[in-house]
Amino acid sequence: MPVIAATGKQRRKVRFSNNRPVTSINANNLQATSNSPAPTAVSNPIASKSSTKTIMSTTAAVRPGVPALFTEPPVIHDPLTTETSELQEQTLEKCLPFLQGNQKSQREPFSRHGVPALGRDDHIGFLYDSLEEYPDDFVALDASRPWMCYWALAGLSLLGEDVSKFRQRVIATFTPMQNPTGGFGGGHGQMSHSASSYAAVLTLAMVGGSEAYRLIDRRGMWSWLGRLKQPDGGFRICENGEEDVRGAYCAMVVISLLDLPLELPPDAPARQHGLETFTSGLPEYLSRCQTFEGGMSGSPGTEAHGAYAFCALACLCILDRPEKVIPRYMDVPLLLSWLSARQYAPEGGFAGRTNKLVDGCYSHWVGGCWPLVQSALDGMQPAAAPNKASGNLYCREGLTRYILSCCQAKRGLRDKPGKHPDSYHTCYTLTGLSTTQHRHYHTDTSATSKEPFASAFSWKYTPVSSNVNDDTDVSVFEETDRVNPAHPLYVIPHKAAEDMRLWYEKEPLDFA
Amino acid sequence: MAGKYSSDPEWANIQPIPLNDGSDSGSLPLATIAYAADYLEAMSYLRAVMAANEMSDRALKLTEDIISLNPAHYTVWIYRAKILFALEKDLLEELEWLNGVSLTYLKNYQIWHHRQVLMSSTTHFPTLPPKESSFLMEMFAQDSKNYHVWTYRHWLVRHFKLWDHPVELADVESLINTDVRNNSAWNHRFMLRFGPRDDQHAAGMPNGDAPGSEKGRMAVVDEDVVDGELGYAKAKIVRAPENRSPWAYARGVLRAADRGLEEWREFVGKFVIVKEDGEVVVKSTHALEWLADVYARERKEEAVRMLTLLREKYDPIRTNYWDYRIQMISSAV
Repeated sequence: MPVIAATGKQRRKVRFSNNRPVTSINANNLQATSNSPAPTAVSNPIASKSSTKTIMSTTAAVRPGVPALFTEPPVIHDPLTTETSELQEQTLEKCLPFLQGNQKSQREPFSRHGVPALGRDDHIGFLYDSLEEYPDDFVALDASRPWMCYWALAGLSLLGEDVSKFRQRVIATFTPMQNPTGGFGGGHGQMSHSASSYAAVLTLAMVGGSEAYRLIDRRGMWSWLGRLKQPDGGFRICENGEEDVRGAYCAMVVISLLDLPLELPPDAPARQHGLETFTSGLPEYLSRCQTFEGGMSGSPGTEAHGAYAFCALACLCILDRPEKVIPRYMDVPLLLSWLSARQYAPEGGFAGRTNKLVDGCYSHWVGGCWPLVQSALDGMQPAAAPNKASGNLYCREGLTRYILSCCQAKRGLRDKPGKHPDSYHTCYTLTGLSTTQHRHYHTDTSATSKEPFASAFSWKYTPVSSNVNDDTDVSVFEETDRVNPAHPLYVIPHKAAEDMRLWYEKEPLDFA
Repeated sequence: MAGKYSSDPEWANIQPIPLNDGSDSGSLPLATIAYAADYLEAMSYLRAVMAANEMSDRALKLTEDIISLNPAHYTVWIYRAKILFALEKDLLEELEWLNGVSLTYLKNYQIWHHRQVLMSSTTHFPTLPPKESSFLMEMFAQDSKNYHVWTYRHWLVRHFKLWDHPVELADVESLINTDVRNNSAWNHRFMLRFGPRDDQHAAGMPNGDAPGSEKGRMAVVDEDVVDGELGYAKAKIVRAPENRSPWAYARGVLRAADRGLEEWREFVGKFVIVKEDGEVVVKSTHALEWLADVYARERKEEAVRMLTLLREKYDPIRTNYWDYRIQMISSAV
């Protein structure tokens, strides 16, 4: 087990399989909007060169336990060739040898279902390293350092590491990023941004403790968020920045965790348009983001996209109980149809948009939509005796196969075979793996009694057995590959979210 | 060490604000970057001028310098936009400069918002600049599904009211002709044809504020447009029947017009051929799903048969979803 003294003076350099500079980084977005939504530490322009050329037939030996569904191309294949179909073919060629379980680089032992083991210790080492120092050609990360902290600590928590040892270093990191006018920027002297603030608050929640909580200037945060609220109900991501669903989700995560007043500050510009609270017009705004395809777009009118779908659904579920709020603001049959079509065979993983490629990060963005939608269908559960019969509408087996067979690099996890791993993909593939291993439901028992957030803090989980093996649902992971659960709305450990909320509830803000 | 700025008399009256990365707290900060000296220096001057809210030519030049070192720096873009407007700079010139930057950094996120901010100035851009559409097509030639560029183009349509602009539709058609599977182009086409035009808030699906099943239906429809779009979708489906985009488009069109899926039964039947011996030859999973929806009310067994084909043979990764659909149909009264 790699151990790095979290507070030691010895600084380790970040190690990379290929020490190449980052060419494209999307600072401070939820990584939702670029074509390849994957820009972090080691996104690599010539990564595709490292892929191995294989034939698309299954003449190579398929490891026992891998069904044909995951080793053969889809039954129907249109002969017309376009850029989209060419890219899809190339992706299949890259994935198939990994799905078949016959790549030398894959990790022994394989499960009886032909799935390689989770390289837990190596991924842990990768995430620890990702928190250390980067060379100067990684300057494009300069606005994404809050994200780097969040991805690494969230990933380490999933892998069972105690991240509270990072408390002092987290405090040292985020203190200069907080602005006197409220909120956190991507670094010292950078404007406050909702993604940086989201990452900062969640990271502080993960390390926990009064000193970490006390760092946040809640009054400043409240006032700053008030300036982001828009007349149409949505939020900008920073002052004079764009308005989109990320802004709404990040704002509501911060507001609900910090127990900020729901009333807009007196000087919030949105007040001049008749809005009084942070939630005014918000579900209606999110509703307008559902497209004719059924998924949600970044803002009303653009294309349905997995990451925005998660932001929109999670934001709704912070506002109210899923079974109430999702059917009220979304066309559920249309949503189910689109969401279900994100999963591809034989890859087993999710694509973010129609006619795009699978990518490991959607294991969370799309995969994380499923528990929310499932809870909307199942309704609130008695905490003591949840309905055990509830199933799930996607193929857990396929997603698990994609993550463990295709996304694992030697150290860290990746978008797909041929791409380099980074902490963004490591975090979100592991979150996706966790979703396949736990059943999430909201209950009648909440950590808070304060509405409207009682539902948001009522989520519980039960582990899905690694022995499930029936007609429609198979667990293909070994018990040793189980990762920890993550809160389906806050995407950090349940206790970290609840502890933070309860601590602030005991420290009411005085606005007299 | 004399840097570019510290040795420049133009900057002599500025006291740079050095980086505080938190290390003087005694703990090592996380995910730090060993910045190059030029970046470190430029950033220290940026902090200083931003703190003073300086609106000047030298500050503008500084933002350009920092963008060249790190184009992913959202703060510097927003500050730059602020200066441009404060100094009433020639935004056409800025646009020219931005074009070059955009082609260099294709995946950059900030550039497109900056472009939108510039283009919002009705003083400088009372109408759509003539070269704007062709510039966007240049971008799509590099990456035809770039989400930022499409988001910007969508904004452009609403801002300049371009729904019926011939170039807008021609560009979409050209992209769909190049790659009939370009779902971003299909989405844009839907918005041009059926997106709400007047209500300031609505922008996506028609009637997007309405609850659940009422969404997507238009109050007033031009049946000629609807028929034209359905014909367009059919022609594209024939080229590649397993392509989801035109099928979803056609569903959206029928929904907007409040017309049923039944009217396509004959067309869809071409892709699901039931032979005399009962064997079913399927050329499109989307056709199967369509037929299942058509049969769902009147001929439940047929609907279940279609969904079972999807479940068992044609789209088994979605077994649980198809099971759910079968269960819904079977339990419906």
